[in-house]
Amino acid sequence: MPKPDLREATSVHEPLLPIEKKLIGWSLGTGLALLVLLIIINHFVPLG
Amino acid sequence: MSEATIPVQAAAPPRLSEDLVAVGLGLGVFLLALVSLVGADVLGWLVTTSVWTDPSTALAPVSKAYASLGGGGALLVTYLILTAVLSAGAYLLGDDVRRFAFAFTAVFAIAYASWFVGSWAHLAAVTPADQAKFGVSWSLKLTNEGGYVVALLAGLAIANLFPTFAERLRSAVRPELYIKIAIVILGAFIAVTMASKLTLASSLMLRGVAAIIEAYLIYWPIVYLIARKGFGFSREWAAPLASGVSICGVAAAIATGGAIRARPQIPILVSSLVVVFAVIEVLILPFLAQLFISHEPLVAAAWMGLAVKTDGAALAAGGITQSLIQAKAAAEGIAYQPGWMLTVTATVKVFIDVFIGVWAFILAYIWTNHINPRAGAQKARLGEIWERFPKFILGFVATFLVTVALALWTNAGSSGQLTAAIGEANVLRVIFFVLTFFSIGVMSNFRQLWQEGFAKLAAVYLVSLFGFVVWVGFVISWLFFAGVKPPLAS
Repeated sequence: MPKPDLREATSVHEPLLPIEKKLIGWSLGTGLALLVLLIIINHFVPLG
Repeated sequence: MSEATIPVQAAAPPRLSEDLVAVGLGLGVFLLALVSLVGADVLGWLVTTSVWTDPSTALAPVSKAYASLGGGGALLVTYLILTAVLSAGAYLLGDDVRRFAFAFTAVFAIAYASWFVGSWAHLAAVTPADQAKFGVSWSLKLTNEGGYVVALLAGLAIANLFPTFAERLRSAVRPELYIKIAIVILGAFIAVTMASKLTLASSLMLRGVAAIIEAYLIYWPIVYLIARKGFGFSREWAAPLASGVSICGVAAAIATGGAIRARPQIPILVSSLVVVFAVIEVLILPFLAQLFISHEPLVAAAWMGLAVKTDGAALAAGGITQSLIQAKAAAEGIAYQPGWMLTVTATVKVFIDVFIGVWAFILAYIWTNHINPRAGAQKARLGEIWERFPKFILGFVATFLVTVALALWTNAGSSGQLTAAIGEANVLRVIFFVLTFFSIGVMSNFRQLWQEGFAKLAAVYLVSLFGFVVWVGFVISWLFFAGVKPPLAS
């Protein structure tokens, strides 16, 4: 297995695949929705 | 943090994983501390350092029962026993025990000397009354936990000015081992802190859930997108980098590298960068917190857990933040109960750690089935979740639950005894923190990283960390912890 070189990290152009876009989109969407939900819960159930 | 760490050159295959060694040592300390509940004080010889102007009065054994040892004797006994126990740990980890013991002698000496210097009244005295008591006209007001910063700076100086010496210390420079042992002991300390205010404590823990969402579902996709689209990194580099910046630094990068079947050197290179930036954060963020949000101590504490990467650095930042904010509050006549800020930082960090295995499995599934589906290549297995689960957290949970149960089931008198017993274990927790700080410093050779061409990788890290990770972490901490204060000391 060739030793990685930092120069190769950006030398090969790899376009974003649909599955990567899905991963990014779903993660962000789910994360933001859950955060909003938690903020609402936090608002109605204040710290004891 | 999982079992993965930046590897130290082992002399033989490890007999046990680092997590299990940490759990064993941490639980051992905890059980020895509990022995004092039945009247036998077996940890009282541990050395403690008070704030000093006359160095000869600074050191003492933690228990009066061992007063005859004197400060120097307590220091010597602490060093000898720690060296013996950790050398046994090094044997289990497959290290050369002799080499470890020699290196640890130097590591302990410099780290504890740093702690000692940090307790000098000109650095540590906090209130005007303290300054008058010690007869000093000025002080940096760092509390004696400023010793952590001194240890970090000492480590940085060695790494960058004396790299050959740093290399000789290498086998005992194990920040991940030290912090994992400290975290197991910390479970009991947090339980004692929380036992008197369980409603507040459980509410704070629930807020820790926000940290999981933030790290995995907000930070990760954004950093990944920046690395891929903004800087053109390949997937093999972008995924470990995203995990390193977003989740828990070193271990997350290595777990992700394993999950996506990246070449093993890639997450290790990313990890080196994580450690360097964590050091920078530790040196900046606690002081920013003291300057701007000292009136919101728990926001500051949660912020450290969310923004500072690697468990060691995050808890270190939490500890420094706690001491700085408590010092400022004390100067204004407010005395917060100690331990609550560190508790919030630790809770946030532990919550994030727990899900590393699950996230690594999700990435492994996507990579092996959709991105890089090679015929004959090993597919993601459900068992990887357990394999990558940071086992030392089980030690943390065990000491936490046992201590809460003991605190609830004993009467007030023996609860005081319990607090004293855990207090003795906490002395060791502090020593392991100091060892962690020093070790992190020794691992941070800025010049070497620069020479290896880290500029572009560092640029992604810099843009992500200071562009949004730090600030989003602050906003989320504010949303969930603003207005909540630690209980006041009675």
